[in-house]
Amino acid sequence: MKRRTFVGAATALTGASFLPGFANAQSKEIRMIESGGASGESIQKGYIDPLKAKTGINVVRESPSSLGKLRALVESGQTGTTLFELGSGVVLQAKKLGLIEKLDWAAINPAPMFPEAKNEYGFGYQYFSTIMAWRKGAKEPKNFTEFFDTKAFPGKRCLPDYPHYCLPFAVQAAGVPIDKLFPLDVDLAFKKLNEIKKDVAVWWKAGAQPPQLMKDNEVQYSICWSGRVVGDPAFGLNFAGGKADLSFICVVKGSKPEDKAAANKLFYEMSLPENQAKAAEVISYTGPSPTLDALLPKDKLWQFPTSKQNKDVQYFENAEWWADNGEAVNKKWEAFKLSL
Amino acid sequence: MTRSTGFSFIAPLLVLMVVAFNAPIVYMLGLAFWEKGRGFTLEHYEGLVEAPVYLRVLGNTMRIALIATLANIVIGYPLAHWMRGLGSRGRMIAIALVVLPFWVSILVRTYAWIVVLGNGGIVNRALQWSGLTDSPVSFLYNELGVTIGMANVLLPFLVLPLFAAMLRIDDRLLQAAASLGAPPRTIFWKVYFPLTLPALAAGSLLVFILCLGFYVTPAILGGGRVPMISNLLDTLINQIPRWEQASAISTILLIVTLAIFAAYRRLDRKASA
Amino acid sequence: MSDIRLEGVTKRYGTFAAADSVDLSVTQGEFVTILGPSGSGKTTLLSLIAGLNRPTSGRIFIGGRDVTNATAQERNIGLVFQSYALFPHMTVLQNVLFPLGVRKIGGAEADRLARDALKLVRLDGFENRRPSQLSGGQQQRVALARAVVFKPDILLLDEPLGALDRKLREELQVELKQLQRTLGVTTLLVTHDQEEALSLSDRIMVLDKGRTQQIAAPTEAYLRPANRFVAEFLGIANFVSLPDGRQGVVRPERVRLAGAGQGQGQGQGQAARVVEAIYLGQMVRYHLALDDNRSVVAAVPFLGAAHAPGERISVSWESADVWPVT
Repeated sequence: MKRRTFVGAATALTGASFLPGFANAQSKEIRMIESGGASGESIQKGYIDPLKAKTGINVVRESPSSLGKLRALVESGQTGTTLFELGSGVVLQAKKLGLIEKLDWAAINPAPMFPEAKNEYGFGYQYFSTIMAWRKGAKEPKNFTEFFDTKAFPGKRCLPDYPHYCLPFAVQAAGVPIDKLFPLDVDLAFKKLNEIKKDVAVWWKAGAQPPQLMKDNEVQYSICWSGRVVGDPAFGLNFAGGKADLSFICVVKGSKPEDKAAANKLFYEMSLPENQAKAAEVISYTGPSPTLDALLPKDKLWQFPTSKQNKDVQYFENAEWWADNGEAVNKKWEAFKLSL
Repeated sequence: MTRSTGFSFIAPLLVLMVVAFNAPIVYMLGLAFWEKGRGFTLEHYEGLVEAPVYLRVLGNTMRIALIATLANIVIGYPLAHWMRGLGSRGRMIAIALVVLPFWVSILVRTYAWIVVLGNGGIVNRALQWSGLTDSPVSFLYNELGVTIGMANVLLPFLVLPLFAAMLRIDDRLLQAAASLGAPPRTIFWKVYFPLTLPALAAGSLLVFILCLGFYVTPAILGGGRVPMISNLLDTLINQIPRWEQASAISTILLIVTLAIFAAYRRLDRKASA
Repeated sequence: MSDIRLEGVTKRYGTFAAADSVDLSVTQGEFVTILGPSGSGKTTLLSLIAGLNRPTSGRIFIGGRDVTNATAQERNIGLVFQSYALFPHMTVLQNVLFPLGVRKIGGAEADRLARDALKLVRLDGFENRRPSQLSGGQQQRVALARAVVFKPDILLLDEPLGALDRKLREELQVELKQLQRTLGVTTLLVTHDQEEALSLSDRIMVLDKGRTQQIAAPTEAYLRPANRFVAEFLGIANFVSLPDGRQGVVRPERVRLAGAGQGQGQGQGQAARVVEAIYLGQMVRYHLALDDNRSVVAAVPFLGAAHAPGERISVSWESADVWPVT
């Protein structure tokens, strides 16, 4: 292609998107960056496929998502990606850094949702739990005091290599009830971690590690994501004291109005319990509808983060506290890691 | 063709290099000095000095990288030397085997080590079966695991240049040394080894620098017990996020790396002067 | 200084014999050249003597000692390669000091010996250069100095001048001969260059397909070749039929020319036509066609006038200059 024709084509393309009359239209295709794996497939089957069937709008998925990637996207001024998946803690940071847009909840007009999922800056679309699990045959702990008691419950542990996944469980081990976890007693948490560290064989970075390590009998107990262990007869698990957290879908700062309009249609689909039930067939994490339990198979209710029996015994992630204290805690965490 | 017209041919490429590769790096490094709305600051470096835990992670990374590089040399040098002695067919096979890991995803390779070296892995089962040990030996989830993993992944970076340098050594030099009365040990240390030294130094430097940036292997084979600077940078960029702090650490990392490189160049020039 | 003796030395690679029952005796201080085309086994023979290789059978003696199974290190031999084989990471002086170092000769004495050796090859002043900073001829002289500095029992030269251009080669031939005479060291040279062999050696050994063809003084081998191969390999040979049915060889210098019809000498003049006249400075080489279509080469001193191509002349030679070959 000659240079001149190339420039001409580029002008034609950019020109089209600014034509008056198109401003309120919806794009026929938008892009989303999500965390990938089964979670991404659940988005496809639960939400994107119904959206496409109803409206013809397609959503192209990419993965994985990270705050660094989002920041790079926004700071480079791109508008190609509209939707971005972020964890609850990261939503706050992304908001502070001006990387995401406020959602127009009136325009989305969602079906009823749990209040924490209806964030000003993000659609909490997927609950996931971080819980204790063990290799079948190991003595079964009922709470984190027992989980941290390596004398009464002997065996190697596998804990997350992230302070915000580890510390709240450590203070529970010291007897703090789940409604009194925050503000977090950081020193108490590290005291408990120092007691258990010699029995921790692996600090995991990837969610796939703990189930594999338990299967290989490298460790007997793990703190891990519920979706990785439920339904596998090789493992026992307990939601008691677990952490319920939400993944959010956010709108990238500077997205075009027509893309945002298309995104709102997707958000609406994501609020429907019947769609959430479809997504839950792919992954055992659940959407934010309070009436979802009725649509899920009765015999599997014990597997899901939001089923009544599980939601009540877990604490919910305190993203605000971590946003204010995360960095200071991380320095202590690195020092702790160096002491291993 | 004059020099200047020659330059004009590569100028566009040079511009592309600077814009596409160097400018983003400079921007990233600049983040530590320059904050939006606040201007020039050294605060992020002060933070590093006041709470040196991040510097200690950097130190730890250097130490691990050094150990892994040494392990690489201990394995790689004899391997390359052995390959030199093979026939052309044997060499082809050996090179393919050395390069093979390049074609396999780093994640797959790393998990493969778990199968081999885990508590229930092949090696431990063999050791216990043969009665050499009663309980499994901890190869993984410690510094040993990280070292083994990094040595494995980076071995081709050392072996290939070393092997190429060894192949270039004329057999007649070694024959000449023998005919001049030198015993094999003297031939090796006075003739063969000095001739491979530049390639060994360059390969080791490459391995060392790559070790500094290792991410996946330490996280998995180290069981998270071996803090490395790139894992820390990941936390600072993706979890917390403090890009300014990450930038300050990266700058220090870059300076250290360049200093090592400069020292190598000086040594090299001295040796060939 | 020692003598060399080979007894039935054979080296086989599978069924191929690179050296086949070779016998050779080199006396102390003698300069012998092993001459042969490439693939004749001459380098194999040298590497067997140097100890870089072991013979399949036969025995090798140096200075009366059986060294057949001795390593190269144990033989005390100075070896010079065509490729020089200087150690590129060492200076000229360090290269020459190397064999002294392995003999535990150090300090001032080693330094003096090395500098003397370099003076001998006229390279004093080049001590601190690297081999890569020297010309080919200079590098070869360093290799020579390195090979003689430790006073080896014998000196082995493997095509030492092969990589040099003609003028330099001729200069170095003279130097090599002088050096060998000065040191009086028993020397064995391998080359495929028959001129070099003829000009340098006390005796030459012609080798073909791993077998000895002739061992003789240069002029002897040239004028009285043992067989057709030697005759053809050493210079140009004119083959003629002898009355008894055998073949004889006449060297071009022994061919006489005269104007057409003017028979000269005792041989019968034969009519011939000049095909080509090649000027070689002091000599002219004529390629001639006899009337029966056989060709003859003649080399005669150039005295200002020459026969032109196409000219008819008469060719003759003394019967004493014809050497019968098989």
